[in-house]
Amino acid sequence: MPKNSKGREIAEIIPAKCIGCERCLAACPVPEAMTMEGGVAIIFPEVCIGCGRCFDACPTEAIIFERVRKKKAAKPEAAGAAEAAASVDGHKGVAVFIEVYQGHGAEVSWELMGKARELADKLGTQVLGFLLGHNVKPVAEEAIAHGCDTVYMADSPAFQVYLSKLYGRAVAKMCQQVKPEILLLGATAMGRDLSGVVATILHAGLTADCTGLDIDMEKRLLLMTRPTFGGSIMATIVCQNQRPQMSTVRPRVMKLPRRDPGRKGEIRTLDLGAQADSLPQVIEFMPKAHEVGGVDITKAPVLVVVGKGACDSRHLPMLEDLARLLGGAVGCSRAVVQAGMLPYVRQVGQTGKTVAPSIYIGVGVSGAVQHLVGMQGSDRIIAINTDPHAPMMQIADYALVGDYLEVVPRLIKGIEARLPSLKGVSS
Amino acid sequence: MHIVACIKQVPDTTQVKIDPETNTLVRAGVESICNPYDLVAVEAGVRVAEKYGGKVTVITMGPPQADSALRQCLSLGASEAILLSDRAFAGSDTLATSYTLAQAVNKLNATEPVSLVICGKQAIDGDTAQTGPGLATWMDYTQLTYVVEIIEVADGFITVKREVEGGTEVIRGKLPALLTVELELNPVRYATLPELVRSLRQEIKVLGAKDIGGEPERYGLKGSPTSVKQIFAPPPHGGGKVFETASDSDKVIEDFLSTFFEKESSILSEVLSSDGSDHAQEQ
Repeated sequence: MPKNSKGREIAEIIPAKCIGCERCLAACPVPEAMTMEGGVAIIFPEVCIGCGRCFDACPTEAIIFERVRKKKAAKPEAAGAAEAAASVDGHKGVAVFIEVYQGHGAEVSWELMGKARELADKLGTQVLGFLLGHNVKPVAEEAIAHGCDTVYMADSPAFQVYLSKLYGRAVAKMCQQVKPEILLLGATAMGRDLSGVVATILHAGLTADCTGLDIDMEKRLLLMTRPTFGGSIMATIVCQNQRPQMSTVRPRVMKLPRRDPGRKGEIRTLDLGAQADSLPQVIEFMPKAHEVGGVDITKAPVLVVVGKGACDSRHLPMLEDLARLLGGAVGCSRAVVQAGMLPYVRQVGQTGKTVAPSIYIGVGVSGAVQHLVGMQGSDRIIAINTDPHAPMMQIADYALVGDYLEVVPRLIKGIEARLPSLKGVSS
Repeated sequence: MHIVACIKQVPDTTQVKIDPETNTLVRAGVESICNPYDLVAVEAGVRVAEKYGGKVTVITMGPPQADSALRQCLSLGASEAILLSDRAFAGSDTLATSYTLAQAVNKLNATEPVSLVICGKQAIDGDTAQTGPGLATWMDYTQLTYVVEIIEVADGFITVKREVEGGTEVIRGKLPALLTVELELNPVRYATLPELVRSLRQEIKVLGAKDIGGEPERYGLKGSPTSVKQIFAPPPHGGGKVFETASDSDKVIEDFLSTFFEKESSILSEVLSSDGSDHAQEQ
């Protein structure tokens, strides 16, 4: 147990375990005793009075405090627990916001429908769909085929185009009328834009980019797990006192459920009353589909990813050959975009796209944490690198140590030789 | 025109490494930087002010050390800087953070009405992208996220180009508006020497919960519906097979392919059967 120069036993932070949630700071009674630096809490030993409140508040055991206290500090009760219980009561059902593009439901919404089904079955409740748009009844039917029990639909020309305030207020109103306990949204451009609006109107808790969702059966709470600090830590977030518990999930993180066209469900039309005033106007929409050869790296089943170690445009055709052979596409790390070899739309990682191909082949990708968060959902990872200690080589299922100029041509030759037999089997 | 840029000081995540032995974060000595998206926001604000007249006020909520991030923004041409720093704000999630920022913008509105608030698309430490929409909602401002171009600010309206699913759109909305901006909106200038000197000398206004008013129970931990229940190390992916190709590359790569095609035959046939579908390269 550390002591300060006054001989007082004080608390100490273990930086590696600190997640920067600031609960200790909120609990500390001495204004100058603690601060945050670089996302980590710091205790000033000479100012710390050794009360141990930070230790009690820490959710991650990142604080060492061993002094025997006279009074055992009671765990601070959640603020406004009584009021909260009232607001939690009466909320039932797992709702999914259904995104509509050009008259079709977005795939991520069906992925969420599958997850919602699983959560609702655990809770013994219904799967609800929240659907806004114009002439979207066929989408409502699709929702039922993907596991939805009741679709709440607001079908109006006003909802033809997505606008933050319009949709935000409408979905918030749906929540107030239907009272779901959980609301899931896709972490797409629309879902992220919308979720913050809805959560703020409802004063609800919202967790972005969850990779795992489960239920704490005892407390009937949604356990929302997301990567934090560039994916090096997983954090499970809960929302005790507010409903709905809101969460966004990136596309292709949850499994697409099997579509059952014979499934029965109910479609209810909601009248949401007056629309928001002074809305912005969309003047022009420019689709991006044909930009950069129409390649969408998030949809490719196989992705050959070029890293700094293979950042040489002379050898790009070879890597494209490898990708094409397996019906895949070529992506890259941030360094390769910065070098100007491939455009930004091909970038995998935190500031690029999140991908989860069946087979990821990293060529000269060292695997900085920012890159790893964008691809760790891949089914199989093959890494080619001269450095066997590169992080990518550590997480790879197959690590090929060597020069990619030696390895890739041999891979191409070997795969070409094997493909006919394989294709023969599968078709 | 009064423009507000909201910024966040974040740990430089590019410096964060994982200790391979203990599988924990090595964060000792990691520098704090201004969130890169927010620098683009400040630059965008300064450009609008230069083009249409006006000034930029930068706001951040954070510990006293966040002062340095604000000074960097002053050096880029912001006129004033406000640090929201109070123990009462500790433990804020995105809802409480956006509420706190909204109270600060309200306070500014009382003396110098704000026409435009600009935030980075997201912060690199949390990646949530929730604070901007939250702030727009508290303020009831026009919300325009993922902005890649500011086309025009005129007659009480703003026209921008923004990224949406499957493309970009040009959209015109009423001021006051809140924008969240993408990195490609504009490059960030280098500070000139006089601006650097000014940024170091200028006073930064520090405001606490009492200064900005608002409902005390909406600040910090109390105003934050979400809480961290548990943290754990991500499940290891690795434990993979290593193939040293340096010695006899032909043989080793053959070995690898034989292993791969045998063990992963189901994945491979799935991949190849979907060949030629919607993802196909059109080159």
